[in-house]
Amino acid sequence: MTAGLMFKRVFDWKIRGVRWVEIIGGLLVAVMVLSVYIAKAAAAREGSQISELESQIAENRQRVRLLNAEISRLEQPARLEALSRAAGLGPVTARRQATEAQLPALQAMPQPAVPVPAATVPAAAPADPVGDAKLEGQAL
Amino acid sequence: MSVQDHRAHFHRPAPGIPASQGRPFGATLSPWLRLFAGGVWWIEHAFERARADGRPEEDTRVRIFLVMVVFSVVFSGLAIGAIHSALFADRGAAGRSANPNALERADLVDRNGALLATNIGYYSLYIHPAEVWDRRQAMADIRRAVPRLSANRLRTAMFGDRRALVAQGLTPNERRAIHALALGGVEFEAEDLRAYPLGTSAQHLIGASDTGGVGTSGVELAFNDEIRAAGAAGREFPISIDLRVQGVLENELAAAAIANGSKGAVGIVTNVMTGEVLGMASYPATTTKNQAVSAVYEMGSVFKTFTIAAAVDTGRADMNTMIDASEAFMVGKRAIKDFHATNRVLSLEEVYLHSSNIGTSRLAVGMGGATMRDYFTRFGLLTAAPIELKESARPIRPREWSDTTLASLSFGYGISITPAQMSAAMGALTNGGRYIPLSLRRGGALNRGEGRRVVSEQTSQTMLELMRRNVVRGSGTHADAAGLRVGGKTGSANKLVNGRYDASHAVGTFAAVFPADGPVGTQRYSILILMDEPQTYPRTGGFVAAPAVGNIANRIAPFLGVQRRADAYSTALGDKVPAFQDVEGDGR
Repeated sequence: MTAGLMFKRVFDWKIRGVRWVEIIGGLLVAVMVLSVYIAKAAAAREGSQISELESQIAENRQRVRLLNAEISRLEQPARLEALSRAAGLGPVTARRQATEAQLPALQAMPQPAVPVPAATVPAAAPADPVGDAKLEGQAL
Repeated sequence: MSVQDHRAHFHRPAPGIPASQGRPFGATLSPWLRLFAGGVWWIEHAFERARADGRPEEDTRVRIFLVMVVFSVVFSGLAIGAIHSALFADRGAAGRSANPNALERADLVDRNGALLATNIGYYSLYIHPAEVWDRRQAMADIRRAVPRLSANRLRTAMFGDRRALVAQGLTPNERRAIHALALGGVEFEAEDLRAYPLGTSAQHLIGASDTGGVGTSGVELAFNDEIRAAGAAGREFPISIDLRVQGVLENELAAAAIANGSKGAVGIVTNVMTGEVLGMASYPATTTKNQAVSAVYEMGSVFKTFTIAAAVDTGRADMNTMIDASEAFMVGKRAIKDFHATNRVLSLEEVYLHSSNIGTSRLAVGMGGATMRDYFTRFGLLTAAPIELKESARPIRPREWSDTTLASLSFGYGISITPAQMSAAMGALTNGGRYIPLSLRRGGALNRGEGRRVVSEQTSQTMLELMRRNVVRGSGTHADAAGLRVGGKTGSANKLVNGRYDASHAVGTFAAVFPADGPVGTQRYSILILMDEPQTYPRTGGFVAAPAVGNIANRIAPFLGVQRRADAYSTALGDKVPAFQDVEGDGR
């Protein structure tokens, strides 16, 4: 049997007068239509999600810009200086400035002459006068 | 379906026209139409032709085949188009610009990235009264959501008869709050507004832009195209200003101006090596002009620096030159006198430190008009300061260069210049002798090259030394800052009021540079402070402007990386070295 004849037999194979080929073709078309529909519907859903996220990003970007402007307003030098001066802060003189390398050479603050009175506080709250003195000594 | 051959009918001549004059229909058409008509005729008559050939069944098949081919081609085309648009089309490309961060105008930032100006998206609120269900309820709801809205405007819009604007500048949060009320007839329109979060800080320098996104003054105007281009690319646009320096400059300038009751004040801080402007301020904040570039002043004795520099550069004077200031210097009938008369022969240093009008007049007249003019031109004192700001004003120049004019010019009268010109000229004098145009561009002016030669490097070093000595023991002692080696020159001038120089209307200036020591090429910064009409006495630059210079240097040195160090005159902590020893014996 030649290939041509085989092909013709398969082609002519009918069920209730309808060619198998046509039935399979019809089914394939139906499957394709359904899958395209599902794919398109899913894509549309994701598309709307994407655009929603994009609009959220845009809105957040605007918020970030707004907050940056607010930071800049709050941190402007004139305001900071006014607040610092109101809090009693000001530029220190050159004598009270030191570089990192000079720190060990700085003189420690004198120890307080009056001894700390005997601990009336229970032992649960241990005081560390040595540590405090150290800290005080380094404070400039 | 016709089975006749219509050829005879087709060629039938139109009625009323003789057969001899009748032309076939096809002959009246163009060749292409004739070909098309022939093709249509061929298809229409294929059936008859096939029957004539004895193959009627072929004819039907041919027709069906042709119809199928046409339909297949059309549907294939449609299918390919659909697949292409489904798979490869850029989603939402139409509604989106190329860069999601694109702005109409870029954010303006200082050299370290601190925000100076930005574009913020705001919303405008409109109300369609006809579409509002319950107007009173809606009004109450909106007022509760955003209390700052004006009740009057809201009522007017709500009970009006057409769509009306209620408020502008609503933030996204406020918009959301109103939107969440789900009211009918409420609409929002997005708008992009330029915001200046620093308020009055650096306002004269930054300038402004209009609602159309076009710069109208200051940096916004000067760099308009570049700011727009940077905005389109989603980038920031940095300028040379250091906001920390600007803040110190503004605060100290205002403090000094308030202390001495000045009508106005100007301050400029620049990097003399690159020409970058690090700070530029005008006082008071209410003035609309950037006085640093658009106002001109006769600056007085600061000009002695240029006169002496010219004399040193031409070789007419050096540190050992002695100049006779024992009596008034007569120029024609005019007698030039000293403010602090010494009545003796002065060295060049003394002329500078005592700010002797007689000494500098003698030097200027001796050099002559051509030389003085040449040096003033090279210092940029005769043309508008080449800074990017469009407001940069031209100086008021002398009309003629006679001896009496030269004498006046030598101590800063007869010529009115902008503070920016003065700052650039002091930069040229102290950076090794090259004129570098001032610039608000981070990194300095484009294509500035090496700058034109104004004075030699030696002259520059000599002038730095003179300026330092002037702060150590001359008229500028109030400008000293511990360990920062400040050098500078005071200037005090009376203003011309109703045609006369009036001592009660003065301008006090201090032009400084720090550090003044070190070799050519050392990173130096210039500070220029000018006080317009101070009210406290004395009104001279050494008292009204110099202290502010010292304070500013003290505070900005850490930002600029200038270390406190000892020099020949004082220790790093600002203690005077008891006696200056002239070890090298050259007087320097």
